[in-house]
Amino acid sequence: MSGGKCDEALTNLYQYLDREMGAADSERIRAHLDDCSGCFDIYEFEIRLRVVVRERLSEEVPPEFIERLRSALARESVEGR
Amino acid sequence: MADQANFERDALQYTRQLFSAAMRMTRNPSDAEDLVQETYLKAYRAYHTFEEGTNLKAWLYRILTNTYINNYRKESRRPSEVDLGTVEDLYLYRRIGSEESAEAARTTEDRVLEGLVESDIKQAVEELPENFRIPVLLADLEGFSYKEIAEILDIPIGTVMSRLHRGRKALQRRLWEFAENRGLLPKDAEKP
Repeated sequence: MSGGKCDEALTNLYQYLDREMGAADSERIRAHLDDCSGCFDIYEFEIRLRVVVRERLSEEVPPEFIERLRSALARESVEGR
Repeated sequence: MADQANFERDALQYTRQLFSAAMRMTRNPSDAEDLVQETYLKAYRAYHTFEEGTNLKAWLYRILTNTYINNYRKESRRPSEVDLGTVEDLYLYRRIGSEESAEAARTTEDRVLEGLVESDIKQAVEELPENFRIPVLLADLEGFSYKEIAEILDIPIGTVMSRLHRGRKALQRRLWEFAENRGLLPKDAEKP
């Protein structure tokens, strides 16, 4: 890792991962990640962590609840007429 | 203007996502079901005001979040500047990366990412103060943009960014503690 470019990439890493950077800034960071294995490792780890967090936070919806929800909406639509 | 007749077809596809978010907001299944149901009923009644072609998912999340904040949250209504402590950036990676070799670090990374079970991650998220938890959920569970989150929560984009940044750091610190408790870390890295 070397100085300024690494600092720039790591300071803005979340914004980069969130796809919230302008095209030019984003391209500069992408180019640096291609060149710098230290920063690329961090980038890769943050991506893997996000995937793990997202997958393990996802819930199954209880099927009875879906039924209840549909009935509630059906009642609402009858009453609304 | 959207037609109420299409509501089920258009809106019910988001049930799982809304329910997952509601679980982390209310922290229990029965409140989460009530919250999601109330969200859908409100959305149904207001569906004629929804502008077709705009972001239905973000619209539903806005209703979910407002309903949660007004009716379900048990924390203080005052926006609190909770002290999340000082946590360095990229906390989890930095801690794991203190290994001697790249291979050793990689092995620890794999062990941590595989070993953090659902309940660890859920608890770590639920322990975040609400001001940080909701932006983190909207970004990392749902992939909403900063602008969408700002609109859903009615806060400036700069606030979204700072809460996300601090919330994610706090989340990583907590995940580190879970990893430590589960013995996923090498002995010499256990004391930050």
